[in-house]
Amino acid sequence: MASVAAWLPFARAAAIGWVPIATHPLPPPPVPKDRRRAEDEKLLINVSGRRFETWRNTLEKYPDSLLGSSEREFFYDEDSREYFFDRDPDIFRHILNYYRTGKLHYPKHECLTGYDEELAFFGILPDVIGDCCYEDYRDRKRENAERLMDDKLSEAGDQSLPQLTDLRQKMWRAFENPHTSTAALVFYYVTGFFIAVSVMANVVETVPCGHRPGRAGTLPCGERYKIVFFCLDTACVMIFTAEYLLRLFAAPDRCKFVRSVMSIIDVVAILPYYIGLGITDNDDVSGAFVTLRVFRVFRIFKFSRHSQGLRILGYTLKSCASELGFLVFSLAMAIIIFATVMFYAEKNEQDTNFTSIPAAFWYTIVTMTTLGYGDMVPGTIAGKIVGGVCSLSGVLVIALPVPVIVSNFSRIYHQNQRADKRKAQRKARLARIRIAKASSGAAFVSKKKAAEARLAAQESGVELDDAGRDEDIFELQHHHLLRCLERTTMKVKVSSKPDHVTRSPTPHEYDARASHLQPLLDV
Amino acid sequence: MATPPESPVEEHAYELEPSRTPKPIPVALEELCRQTKFSKQEIRVMYRGFKTECPEGVVQEDSFKDIYAKFFPHGNSALYAHYVFKAFDVNCSGAISFRELLVTLSTLLRGSVYERLRWAFRLYDVDGDGAITRQELAEVVVAVHELLGRRAPPGSPAARLDDAKANEQVDRVFRKLDLNQDGVITIEEFLESCLKDDAITRSLQMFDSAL
Repeated sequence: MASVAAWLPFARAAAIGWVPIATHPLPPPPVPKDRRRAEDEKLLINVSGRRFETWRNTLEKYPDSLLGSSEREFFYDEDSREYFFDRDPDIFRHILNYYRTGKLHYPKHECLTGYDEELAFFGILPDVIGDCCYEDYRDRKRENAERLMDDKLSEAGDQSLPQLTDLRQKMWRAFENPHTSTAALVFYYVTGFFIAVSVMANVVETVPCGHRPGRAGTLPCGERYKIVFFCLDTACVMIFTAEYLLRLFAAPDRCKFVRSVMSIIDVVAILPYYIGLGITDNDDVSGAFVTLRVFRVFRIFKFSRHSQGLRILGYTLKSCASELGFLVFSLAMAIIIFATVMFYAEKNEQDTNFTSIPAAFWYTIVTMTTLGYGDMVPGTIAGKIVGGVCSLSGVLVIALPVPVIVSNFSRIYHQNQRADKRKAQRKARLARIRIAKASSGAAFVSKKKAAEARLAAQESGVELDDAGRDEDIFELQHHHLLRCLERTTMKVKVSSKPDHVTRSPTPHEYDARASHLQPLLDV
Repeated sequence: MATPPESPVEEHAYELEPSRTPKPIPVALEELCRQTKFSKQEIRVMYRGFKTECPEGVVQEDSFKDIYAKFFPHGNSALYAHYVFKAFDVNCSGAISFRELLVTLSTLLRGSVYERLRWAFRLYDVDGDGAITRQELAEVVVAVHELLGRRAPPGSPAARLDDAKANEQVDRVFRKLDLNQDGVITIEEFLESCLKDDAITRSLQMFDSAL
C-alpha cells in the first residue's frame, strides 16, 4: 500500500526508540543498489483528447493494474511522448482518482456495463469500490444480472417452442400459457365460463322464487327447480373433473402439482359434489350435506388462474404475513383488554347486555372497527368513557399495518408490470435486431456479387466505366477470403439467413466460375 | 401531556458539525529548510505525502494509530503509537503539525547521537518529569512487544513465558541504565550508560540515512 510509503521515514525514525532496550545490535538497513531517481517525474496521459497529468509515483501505487505496471508502455506514443488511450475520458477521471486518493467511486449516472468494461480494461477489480458507492453499485449490478437472466430464460423458453413433440409437454404448455395455441385459448375461456356459471348457479339457488305450497314462507329457487340446478351442477363438476384429470396427466412433476395451491383449490371445488352423491338423503347427515354446499363457493378461487391481479394479491398477502400477523395479534390484545374493562364497568348495570367477557368481545370488535351497530351500548359513565377510548384506539391499531401491506402490493404489482413490459420490449428488440441483421447480410451478399461480377468483367477484358469506385479495403479482403473459402469447399453462399446452409452450386454456375480459372490452370 | 410539535421524538437529527477551527498555515518552505537539515526537494516530497494523508494540516492521535496499524498489522500498535505521539508532540497540543514532525525527523535522521538519545529519553519518560521509573520503562517495553502481537492467547503458559521474558528484559535494561541504583534513571545516567554501550551507539548510527 503506497500511502504507507509516505510515512516510512517517520516510522524508521521512531524505531530509534527501540535501540536502548534492544538486547542485540540491530541489523543494518538495506542499501539500495542504484541511486533511485531523486526526482519524481510527471506523466502525461491522453484519453481521447482529454489530457491528464500525474506523478509517476501516484500511478505506481497499484502495480497490478494497467497504469501501474509496465503494461502502460504498450500505449506509449513516441511522437507526442504521452500515453494515449482511446477510451471514455469521463470514466477515466474516476479511475485516475482511485490512484490519487485510494478510493474508487462509482458515478450514479453512468451505465454499469460501460463502467465495468473500463475497470476491466484498466485492470482494476470492482471490489475496491469505496463504501460510499458500493451499495449503489451492487444494487445496479444485481438488477442487471436479473434482467440478463430473465432474458436468457425467456429466450430459452422461446427456443424450446418448436422442439416439444411429447403430447404431455404440449398439453402442459397449453395449460400454463393459454396464448400459445388456439385450442389452449378455447379451453381457457370455456373453463372460465363454466366457473362463472357454477358460481352464479350457487348464488341464484338461494333466491326466493315463490311461496311454499301449503306453508308460510318463501321457496328458494334451488328447491323449486331442483332438477335444473342439479343438472347444471353436474355439468360443471364434469368439466372441472375433466380439467383436473387432464392437468394431472400433463403435469411434469405430479407430486409437486398435487401439492400446489391451485390443485388443492380444484379438489376442494369438486369434492363436495361427489361426497353429496355418496351421502343418502338421511336426516342425520343432511346437516353435514348442507355444510358441504358451503365449500362450493371455493370454486370462485379457480378464477385466480385467469386473473393475474388476483394472483398478485394472494402473493402479497403471503409476503405480508408478518404484518397481518401483527395486526391480528394487536387487535386480539386490544379486544381482550377493552372487553375485560367494559365488562367490569357494566357488570352491575340493570338489564345490561354485557353478561360476560366473551359477550363484550362482540361490542369491542364492533366499536374498534368503528362499525357501531348499536345492539350493545354501555350505560354507565365509566362504560361510556371506556367505549370512547376503545373506538379511538381501534382506528389507530387498524390503520397502522395497512400502509405496509399496500406498499408491498404496489411494489409486487409494479415488478410484475415491469417484467411484462420487458418481455414485450424484448420481443420488439429481437425483431429489430433480426431485421437489421437480415438487411446487412443482404447488403453484404449483393456487394459481394457486384465485386465478383466486376472481377469477372475485368478478367475477360471488358472495360469498366465506373472503375474509379473506391471500395473499402476491408470489404475487398473480406470478399476475397470468402471466395477462397468457396473455392476450397466448392460451395456457394447464397442466402443471408444463418440457419440456411449454403447450397452446392449448380453445374452451370460452377462451369461459369471454373471457366475463367481454366486459363490459369493451363499455364 | 401534549408535546410541542417541533420537538423530535426519538429521532437523532443530523446536525452539521460546527466549522472546524481554522487550520494552521504551515511554516514557509524557506524557514523549514533553515530549521531542519532537509533539502527543499525532500521537504516538498514529504509535505505532499503529509497533505494527502492529513488535509487539515495536523496529525491527530487517531490517524497516528492508524498509520502504525498499517505498518504493524499483526500486533496492537495503539500503545506504542500513543507514546510516540506524545514524544513527537513537542508543545503538547494534542496534534502534530508539519513543522513539529519535520523538526523531530530532522533530529532523528540527521541529528547527532546526543540528540537522538535525548529524544529516546523523552519517549521513555512517559509523564515528562525528567526521570524514568521502572514502571515507565516496563510500560514502554510492553508496548514495543505488543507491536509484534501476542502469539499465544493471554493466560496460557506460552503467554506467561512471554511476559516473564519481557519482565526480565526490563530488569536487565533498568539495571544497566540506572548507574547509581536509586530506582530512577535521569537524563545524565541515560546518556552516559548509552554512550558507553557500543552496541547502542552503533545501532543509533545506523539510522543515518536518506529518506
